Amino acid sequence: MDKEKLEVRRGFLKQFGATLGAAGLGAAGVGTAHAQAKPKGNIPDRPVKVGHITFLTGPAELLGGPGQRGHILAQEEINAQGGLLGKRKIETIFADEAAGTDANVKELRRMKLSENIGLFTGVISSGNTPALGPVAEELKVLTLFNDGCTDFLFDKAVPKPKYTFRVTNIQSADGVTAAIGAATHWPKVRRIASLQPDYSYGRNVFEHFALALGKLLPGIQVVSESWPKLGTTDFTSHITKILSTNPDLLITGVWGGDYVAFYKQALRYGLFDKMKVATTLAFGGYPHAIGKDHPEGVLAGVHANYHFLYPSAERWPLNKSFVERYYKRFKEYPSFESDGAYIALYLYKQAVEKANQLVGGWPDDEAIIAMLEGAGIDSPAGYLYIRADNHQGYKDAVTGLSKNLPGYDFPVWDSNSIVSIPIRSITAPPNWPKPGQGHNESTAAADWIKKTWPSAKA
Amino acid sequence: MEIVALQVLNSLFYAAVLFLIAAGLSLIFGVMGIVNMAHGMFYALGAYVTAWSVGVAGSALPPAALFIFLLLGAMAVALVGLVIEPTLIRPFYRRPEEYQLLVTFGLLLVLEDVIRLIWGGTPITASGLVDSLGLVRIGGLPYPIYNMLMIGVGVIAAAAIWAFVYRTKFGVLLRATAQDRRMAAALGIDIGRIYILAFGLGCFMAGLAGAIVVPTQAAVLGMGVEVLVISFVVVVIGGLGSLEGALVGALIVSALRTITIQFWEEIELAALYLIAAIVLLIRPTGLFGKKA
Repeated sequence: MDKEKLEVRRGFLKQFGATLGAAGLGAAGVGTAHAQAKPKGNIPDRPVKVGHITFLTGPAELLGGPGQRGHILAQEEINAQGGLLGKRKIETIFADEAAGTDANVKELRRMKLSENIGLFTGVISSGNTPALGPVAEELKVLTLFNDGCTDFLFDKAVPKPKYTFRVTNIQSADGVTAAIGAATHWPKVRRIASLQPDYSYGRNVFEHFALALGKLLPGIQVVSESWPKLGTTDFTSHITKILSTNPDLLITGVWGGDYVAFYKQALRYGLFDKMKVATTLAFGGYPHAIGKDHPEGVLAGVHANYHFLYPSAERWPLNKSFVERYYKRFKEYPSFESDGAYIALYLYKQAVEKANQLVGGWPDDEAIIAMLEGAGIDSPAGYLYIRADNHQGYKDAVTGLSKNLPGYDFPVWDSNSIVSIPIRSITAPPNWPKPGQGHNESTAAADWIKKTWPSAKA
Repeated sequence: MEIVALQVLNSLFYAAVLFLIAAGLSLIFGVMGIVNMAHGMFYALGAYVTAWSVGVAGSALPPAALFIFLLLGAMAVALVGLVIEPTLIRPFYRRPEEYQLLVTFGLLLVLEDVIRLIWGGTPITASGLVDSLGLVRIGGLPYPIYNMLMIGVGVIAAAAIWAFVYRTKFGVLLRATAQDRRMAAALGIDIGRIYILAFGLGCFMAGLAGAIVVPTQAAVLGMGVEVLVISFVVVVIGGLGSLEGALVGALIVSALRTITIQFWEEIELAALYLIAAIVLLIRPTGLFGKKA
């Protein structure tokens, strides 16, 4: 990338306070191991039971598997230090999210009522969190959702959460991040094609991507929409249709095994030679799920959350040590789900410790919740902040261009291409009206973007 | 124009795969009266075995030699079928149909987990096979020669199955058993042998479909369930138990899918099920199904 171009892009990004390249992350070198205060009062030594539902089978195992491993790593580390408050070991009950929404709801009830879990974690699908959230509130079970990041959860399903929290970034940020990434790297694109899985996630990605890109670049025109069913592996007809409309850019939220099948076919049909390609989840599963035949220069999304080479080792040692420990334990590299599930358990640990210092003994849920609201924690991905008004986790959103580097059997990000966006620049602020409160947009974020973002002039 | 040509080829390739799966499903039902819910998993198994073996042998053998693994994948699945029929399916012939549905559905779930235990959750691929044959240009747009070749394999497979069922002695025995099992047994036909071979052949075809597909896509968890549903649409339209029906059904479903994707994406799935519903209303046994 030549220097002049880089300057133009930096200027473009300034309006978001975003950064391009390996820099990012203003304050570096924040340590992680602050000395743990001695627990106060009597702590029982019986284990804390934790429920974790995630995809253990089916195509979504590509996301659920790394999530489960992140949870296991955190659990093993905490237990090796003697458990929570040095006394209570963590015991996890795993269940398969692929059993379906109804079965997941039943399983959550069973986990609470007959196993008496103290914490519920996991969940990948945006179809499941809106069903499980209200049940968690009803059962009064403290819940840290790993993903299932639909805006709908805290916009509509649980508008005033008490027991439910969510760790990974909100879904609308995903499409917006892809739009900023695309506009940064390819400011000349105008004709847009879209290929999205035909369910709420794909609809959300397309809507927010098109909305944001329309504000960022003048004269954007959507020339083709394709909506394959989730689980589709034959994309040849979709690819041919996209080629027939001559777009400059393809945006796709196709993920997991579907994405692997898609890029293999798109490669042979010459799609990557004819247009730029932006994705939201190309690097969302196991990093090694994508082969080295994957083209370079594709905007390879990670759900706007985390990729294991960023923040870089020198600037954020916590990420380096996390990746090393994860690799040592599982002989593979972590995904954004690993980071989410891992930090969820540590977030709980931190809240329990803080609450203990205040109230002594094993804190009740009310005290733990008070410590979770507004909590900040250093995560492998950078700073994570849990907003008090909607219990949603916020961390800076990232995306980057794919590149093959020696040392990895799979493509990673070109470190010069990484776009890091302060999350406050792309998400609706606290107490922005939710859908149904004076507007009928699909999300608070969509309303906020429409009303407050300036439009680019031609 | 080249778009039309590409879409026709896309449609034929998809039809070839669907035909192999649906014909196996129909064959097993026609001869044995079993609706095999696990059939999609045999397709997935063919894909996994092929991708895995190509991956293992890939570096040692020249690309052209790797094509043998397509056949190997299909034969491995046929072997699995030959083991499963006498052990799991046979005890249920005398039971009502719902038992057979439950057993084969259970088998589907078990096989999905077996695949995950053996190969894990990461997709495995064999795209070297596609690349080894290169591309042709159709009006400036590239198209993989591999896909063209596999359309040919589909045509040959259809002809071979037709010849096998209608032009060999074993085919006569097969059809006799399908028409009247008790009469065939009374005439001295070894029903057990017919059943196990029919089941093995059906599995071979599903395995071959998976083997053909995997170099162009990837072997992923859940692929078997995905394809099972669409294969049922094919046999509902064509008529369960009929090979001609499987062929015509596969062509209809595949053409309809391509047309709707190109012109009216929103109704892709609805159109498939609508056609199936119309066929069921007008000819409940399917286009080529025999009257009960």
